[in-house]
Amino acid sequence: MNQIGDLVGVAWSGLKARKIRTLLIMLGPIIGVAAMVSAVGLTESAKGALQAQLSQLGTNLVIAQAGGTFGSQNPTFPSNAVQRVENVSTVTGASATSNLSGVISIPIQGASGYYQAFPVPVRAADDELPSVLQVPLLDGRWLSTADTRLHLRSVVLGEGIAKQYGYLPGETRTIRLNNSNFGVVGVLGAVALDPELDNAAFVTQWAAKHVLGTNGRPNQLYIRAVPGSTQATANAIPTAISLGGTNQVSTQIPTDILQAAAQANKTLQQVALLAGLLALTVGGIGIANVMSISVIQRSAEIGIRRAVGHSRSKIGAQFLLESLFVGILGGIIGAILGVAVVYGVSAFAGWVVVIAYREIPIWMGLALLVSVSAGLYPSIKAARLEPLETLRLG
Amino acid sequence: MSTQPFDTPPYGVPRTAPPGVLRTDGEPLLELENVSRVYGEEIEVYALRDVSLRILPGEFMSIVGPSGSGKSTMLGLLGVLDLPTSGTIRVAGQDVSTLDDPTRSKLRGNSIGFVFQQFHLIPHLTALGNVETALLYRDIAPRDRRERAYHALDQLGLSARADHRPVQMSGGEQQRVALARAIVTDPLMILADEPTGALDSANAAHVLDIFRSLESAERAVVMVTHDPTVAGTARRKVSMRDGRIVADEQRVEATT
Ligand SMILES: Nc1ncnc2c1ncn2[C@@H]1O[C@H](COP(=O)(O)OP(=O)(O)O)[C@@H](O)[C@H]1O
Ligand SMILES: [Mg+2]
Repeated sequence: MNQIGDLVGVAWSGLKARKIRTLLIMLGPIIGVAAMVSAVGLTESAKGALQAQLSQLGTNLVIAQAGGTFGSQNPTFPSNAVQRVENVSTVTGASATSNLSGVISIPIQGASGYYQAFPVPVRAADDELPSVLQVPLLDGRWLSTADTRLHLRSVVLGEGIAKQYGYLPGETRTIRLNNSNFGVVGVLGAVALDPELDNAAFVTQWAAKHVLGTNGRPNQLYIRAVPGSTQATANAIPTAISLGGTNQVSTQIPTDILQAAAQANKTLQQVALLAGLLALTVGGIGIANVMSISVIQRSAEIGIRRAVGHSRSKIGAQFLLESLFVGILGGIIGAILGVAVVYGVSAFAGWVVVIAYREIPIWMGLALLVSVSAGLYPSIKAARLEPLETLRLG
Repeated sequence: MSTQPFDTPPYGVPRTAPPGVLRTDGEPLLELENVSRVYGEEIEVYALRDVSLRILPGEFMSIVGPSGSGKSTMLGLLGVLDLPTSGTIRVAGQDVSTLDDPTRSKLRGNSIGFVFQQFHLIPHLTALGNVETALLYRDIAPRDRRERAYHALDQLGLSARADHRPVQMSGGEQQRVALARAIVTDPLMILADEPTGALDSANAAHVLDIFRSLESAERAVVMVTHDPTVAGTARRKVSMRDGRIVADEQRVEATT
């Protein structure tokens, strides 16, 4: 037992005597472990933020777009598309909107030139849109059946357009759509799943048809599905809408893009892991190199130790233990550094820190393995040195 | 003779063991029989040629000879740091060529103390650490080890230098630290290779005084030297030339 203690003391004093050299060869395991810990930690933390966002948005929204027959300019759905879609058993809610092309929206009289050049998209929407999107109104109210019944010219602004128009909450504001005045009744909150809606102005389907003179038929449907059957629902929708007719329907699950982003980070994680492994390997070669040189530089010490009775195996063990310490210490420092990086970046990016602490011993073990393997050859070399040749007796 | 010759007499014998056992038997501590040491493979260099020598307990022996005559080679063989190309070296009656490295190392550690011309201290260790090196891997508690090492330094008047590193000490002090390292294990044989060669005359005289004080009935001291006055103080003088022993003289009149 004391002998192991002696060995630890000897190896430790050897490392301590050459602090810079020790730190240099420790860089390999430090960088390797830090890279692997932070690679996994950062991608998991980023994914954690994405997943939190996903669960907040709900992954069960399907957007259906009218594709039209080939060559047709403004493809639309049949006007009863919402009822058709709601016949699909996994659909829990649906809302129809129409892109009204050719409608010019002007917030103030004087700036008409600019808004004619950069028209705000105007959409006709039904009553259900906010509830299907699960987006609250920032101000006022949504379009209602009363607007249709009373033939009111009401408009709801998207969040982005409200900002652009300088609309103040509660303000009485009239904007011009083509040549008609519309009163702003509310502002829709930001729609993370379809940011296009943030820059749109919404009117009732009645107004689209009778005031703005469009056909008012929907060309875009927002559909909520029973959680877990989003993809199946998306697959069923084209047939449900066209009912064997000629309507072309394309569907899209917007959260798939976010999930793909989380997936893409998996690749990033693997690249970073590979980089960490590379750092570890290069570090291992560095350890082997520096230790080999060190054995030559310390050959007199080796000879002295042999002369005072240290056996070959003790000399070998001494050097192997030095590389073991380099691996352990480098691994610990690297792990601390990696965790610090994850905390730092997450604080900066506003992520919730996710660290797989159970994986860290694996990376540290790997660093240890590399360090000890790297120290093996120099240690054998040290053990094999002929003491007389290193001492060159007087 | 026990199967573990170095834990039992004559090697590794504590100095409190009944004295004279070795001497009455006339049993040598170490015996070289027709030993040759050849270096090189294609071009053979005979560093030592057919040498026979017995070292008895209590002997104070000097080895003299011109440079390249094989003195250092002989010392390495006496200290079991090296093995002969031919011939046999017997320690306590046992052929050292048949011993494995751990046993030979243990033999060195327990029974042999080396002193070199260039002191050969480990540069990153303090004086105390250097002396302690000789007591490692022996199941001695660190506290006892430190105490023994400190005691050895103190004996040689170096207690104030215990925490100094080699570079912080004079040559004479370094050689005394090396001596403390050699005697801290209380060895049966002290082998010195020109221990005063790198010292000025005052320090050389001091170191020689220490060597003389190391004489005892059980212990042999073997010293390679260039200095004829140093050689003259030894009771036995072995002269070498071209790898051979050319004279082995015993000084009869004992001066004190
Ligand atoms: N490692 C070695 N390889 C080749 N020749 C050596 C080696 N060591 C010593 N010799 C040769 O052996 C001879 C004796 O050397 P050495 O024992 O050092 O002599 P001394 O100590 O008396 O000066 C010399 O000729 C020397 O060149
Ligand atoms: Mg010599």
